[in-house]
Amino acid sequence: MSATLVIGGGVNGLVCATLLARAGRRVTLLEQRDAVGGAAITRELTTGFRVPAAAHDVGPLRADVARDLNLNTHGLEFVPREAWMTALDGHGHAVTLWHDVAKTRASLAQFSQADADRWPAFVDARAKLGRVVASILPHTPPSIDSPAPRELWRLLQTARQFRALGAADGYRLLRWGPMPVADLVAEHVETPSVAAALAADGVFGAMLGPWSAGSGLLFLLHAANQCAGDPRLVWPRGGPGALTAALVRAAEQAGVTIRTGARVAEVLSDNTGTRGVRLADGTTVDGTTIVSGIDPKTTYALCDPMTLPSEVRWRARNYRTAGTLAKVNLALSALPVVPGADREQLATRIRMAADVDAMERAFDHVKYGAFSPSPWLEALIPSLGDPSLAPPGAHVMSIYAQYAPHTLREGTWETARAPFLAAVLETLDRFMPGVRSLIVEAEVLTPADLEREWGMAGGHIHHGELALDQLFTMRPLLNWSQYRTPVKGLWLCSAGTHPGLGLTGGSGANAAREILARG
Amino acid sequence: MRYDAIVIGGGHNGLTCAAYLAKAGRKTLVLERRHVLGGAAVTEEVFPGYKFSVCSYVVSLLRPEIIRDLDLPAHGLELLPLDGTLTPMLNGDYLWRMNDHNKSRREIARHSRKDADAYDDYGMAMVEMGRFAKPILSMTPPDPMSLDPRGLLDLLSVGKRFRGMRYHDKVNQVQLLTMSAVDFLDQWFETDALKATMSASGIIGTFLGVRSPGTAYVLLHHYMGEIDGAFRSWGLSRGGTGAVSNAIAGAARRFGAEIRTEAPVAHILMKNGRATGVALENGDEIQADIVVSSVDPRLTFERFMNTKDLPDDFVQGVKRYKYRGSSGKVNLALDALPDFTCLPGPGEHLRGAISISPSVDYMERAYDEAKHGAFSSRPYIDIVIPTLSDASLAPPGKHVMSCFVQYAPYHLKPGDMWDDARREAFGDAVIDAIAVHAPNIRNIIRHRQVLTPLDIERTFGLSEGNIFQGELSLEQLFFLRPVPGWAQYATPIDKLYMCGSATHPGGGIMGAPGKNAAEKILKDAKR
Repeated sequence: MSATLVIGGGVNGLVCATLLARAGRRVTLLEQRDAVGGAAITRELTTGFRVPAAAHDVGPLRADVARDLNLNTHGLEFVPREAWMTALDGHGHAVTLWHDVAKTRASLAQFSQADADRWPAFVDARAKLGRVVASILPHTPPSIDSPAPRELWRLLQTARQFRALGAADGYRLLRWGPMPVADLVAEHVETPSVAAALAADGVFGAMLGPWSAGSGLLFLLHAANQCAGDPRLVWPRGGPGALTAALVRAAEQAGVTIRTGARVAEVLSDNTGTRGVRLADGTTVDGTTIVSGIDPKTTYALCDPMTLPSEVRWRARNYRTAGTLAKVNLALSALPVVPGADREQLATRIRMAADVDAMERAFDHVKYGAFSPSPWLEALIPSLGDPSLAPPGAHVMSIYAQYAPHTLREGTWETARAPFLAAVLETLDRFMPGVRSLIVEAEVLTPADLEREWGMAGGHIHHGELALDQLFTMRPLLNWSQYRTPVKGLWLCSAGTHPGLGLTGGSGANAAREILARG
Repeated sequence: MRYDAIVIGGGHNGLTCAAYLAKAGRKTLVLERRHVLGGAAVTEEVFPGYKFSVCSYVVSLLRPEIIRDLDLPAHGLELLPLDGTLTPMLNGDYLWRMNDHNKSRREIARHSRKDADAYDDYGMAMVEMGRFAKPILSMTPPDPMSLDPRGLLDLLSVGKRFRGMRYHDKVNQVQLLTMSAVDFLDQWFETDALKATMSASGIIGTFLGVRSPGTAYVLLHHYMGEIDGAFRSWGLSRGGTGAVSNAIAGAARRFGAEIRTEAPVAHILMKNGRATGVALENGDEIQADIVVSSVDPRLTFERFMNTKDLPDDFVQGVKRYKYRGSSGKVNLALDALPDFTCLPGPGEHLRGAISISPSVDYMERAYDEAKHGAFSSRPYIDIVIPTLSDASLAPPGKHVMSCFVQYAPYHLKPGDMWDDARREAFGDAVIDAIAVHAPNIRNIIRHRQVLTPLDIERTFGLSEGNIFQGELSLEQLFFLRPVPGWAQYATPIDKLYMCGSATHPGGGIMGAPGKNAAEKILKDAKR
């Protein structure tokens, strides 16, 4: 039996490789770095301090993926998180949104009775719409030109689910997608810091500000993800690397051969299809099926251009991958003081913005190729729920900082890294006074670093902008959204395919199913 | 006196609707609040001897079938071509695109050979896009949540036509609906000034920047006029845009419609849950079988009616509908022609549009200021000098110049308001921005009229000064315009209809909402 090669050992690559091997394929996974895991890794920042290097939450894993791979038998254990997020306004107020509705209402009522009153209806609507969107996540996007009867049937099912929403929610779904998330949230929430924290779902990792049209869609996709898995299970004990460790055990048990330090330089193909890959060291690896777990833009760039139709070359080149999210990891000598928030409220993602306007101002700079002097921040202190990450009494903090461009218009990241870190820390200090004095060690990963170290084009954490024109049947490209490519034998399984977004394993699982059915 | 139909508002859509109703034999009355007809499509002698298209100033979208059906040329409509767009650049050069594709191509090649080639592809792509979109303009939007088979068939036919398109056209179509104008254009072009000027079409009348997703659609909305060949490309109407309204009014009268000016409506009369006529501010009550409102939803439902008479969710939809006017207008009476340093002296280049949009960043920064509650200190300006095509608008040797300006937000940051001082400061910013490219402008201004969004609201009855009666953003288009579930010109009140730009397909001197509404009304009457 001929070999199947999976390029890239991120979560989707591992999931796809494992499912293919389980079905009897002979699978070799090629990872360019010295360890697999992609964005899901835990690593030592300095002696005794371990941080989620890139992503600081996983998934939630899609329920079917976790089940099919028996990840719990491979040592994966989650530290459940009851708080969804905590919003800080920088003036000593903290509002925590819990997965529990009643608890959230109590929390909101301290700041706005109106918000408390409207909350149940809002989360209910969000969940209802999220479920409809979630229903399309596990399926391969249909073909537009010649949909198979199966695909039509599924579309009909989705249409029926949509209509079952009733007029009010149906229209809501149609309105929410294209809306600016700022408007969407403002219809339901008035407390400025809470509105900003919720709106963050709509701009996370994207070249969008909360006033940008289309950010409502990202908000909906996050809602859908939360419906497709358990939203409380986003922190594996030991960090995202523990998920990778479990996935590796599952892969090895299924018979996948994992090769690290193997960077693919070219996909080899002739007129009958793919033959294998050439590695950066010049050696070749044979394989007739090649599945790419790296982003579509980079994948297409690995192909012989002559094998791609001109329209695919052009569209792939124009596929938008401008990253805006930077990562800052801190080792702290003690738990920072956060006015207004207790320990329990801090044991979740902490979103920091006084209001939506502050986020929009942070966004303004990236349009002109500069980083925000006062960026929007989401911090996680994972050592609160998982003390193994830091020495006793000490903590680690993982921060998503937006906005930072992949390419600076003036200067380079070499010289800008320090001022950017200073901007992040200065901003952080406004929400957590004195935090700077606790820092033992700090590291910054800009979108340029994410691209260089992890290989994603533009440093875009979603492997391509999540916009209406790059989703579903158009992710990554129209006619090539069914995990296939114009190169026979070459498949895509990364977050740059439907459904993408978050370390859910969804793209990898969908791709494996498609490859087994048609490949 | 009893009428079959009363149309509230004598703007071009109200008049168009009335003309079609009258043509179908309905005894129709149009009520206009002001002393002149036309709404925002109006010509007024603002300063003695100087006539201005005070608000909207160019014509391109006017549906050809309306011109034909109403025989508008017989009622005085004459369209004068407006050839080309001149963009003065920051480096002292200029970009001058003309209606003649080959000339434009050569001009673009001066800046980028690659862009010149792409210009062909782009032009062809947009023709296809327009061809796809046009039938949608004259369609009553289907309601996706109803089971009405006709509506679903309409949707299916759109889907079928979509499937029949070529690969690139399909992608372009989706991109147009969702992308930002700059992202869309980035795929073809590299010349900054070219992208800036082209993307400007994407922001007109919206509170979005050229980099905001959704602006590519407005680009298409404005491109629609350019694709039917030269005559129906962007043009001026002889006598100003008021002449368009007057021609439609002439046609309406000829079909028997009655039109009253200075007849402001106070409220819509209701009986047993249905509209029965209107009461004027002077106390007169006029009865009619149906009432059609061409004014925006805020005026129709919140001012002319008691919202208690309407279903709650509908009222919510009306309240949520976004206006957020973003543009102003500066009308200048000039002693001489402006002299642009990039292309000195008088000439053909002044006869078209002159676009102050030198770079994408310039456009985006103008938006950033507005987004945070201030008028743009360096705004985007679309300039037209209509006297070069129609000398009758000013005394001999003199000129009028129309400057459409963005951004001037209706909502200023807390503490600021549109008062006389700020209006003049805004006017000064506009003149300053023009003077960067045409320094003599300061010395040739005889009179200046500055309209802020607040002025536009007060004078023309457009809520928040939105020239399209509500933003052309994706969540307010097609079956969602103006209120989800009420996109078919009907309202929750029996016998009350809408026919203004707040209904599908939206604003611009297009007439389509008025015509579509009339057709819907006549169809309902047959039931």
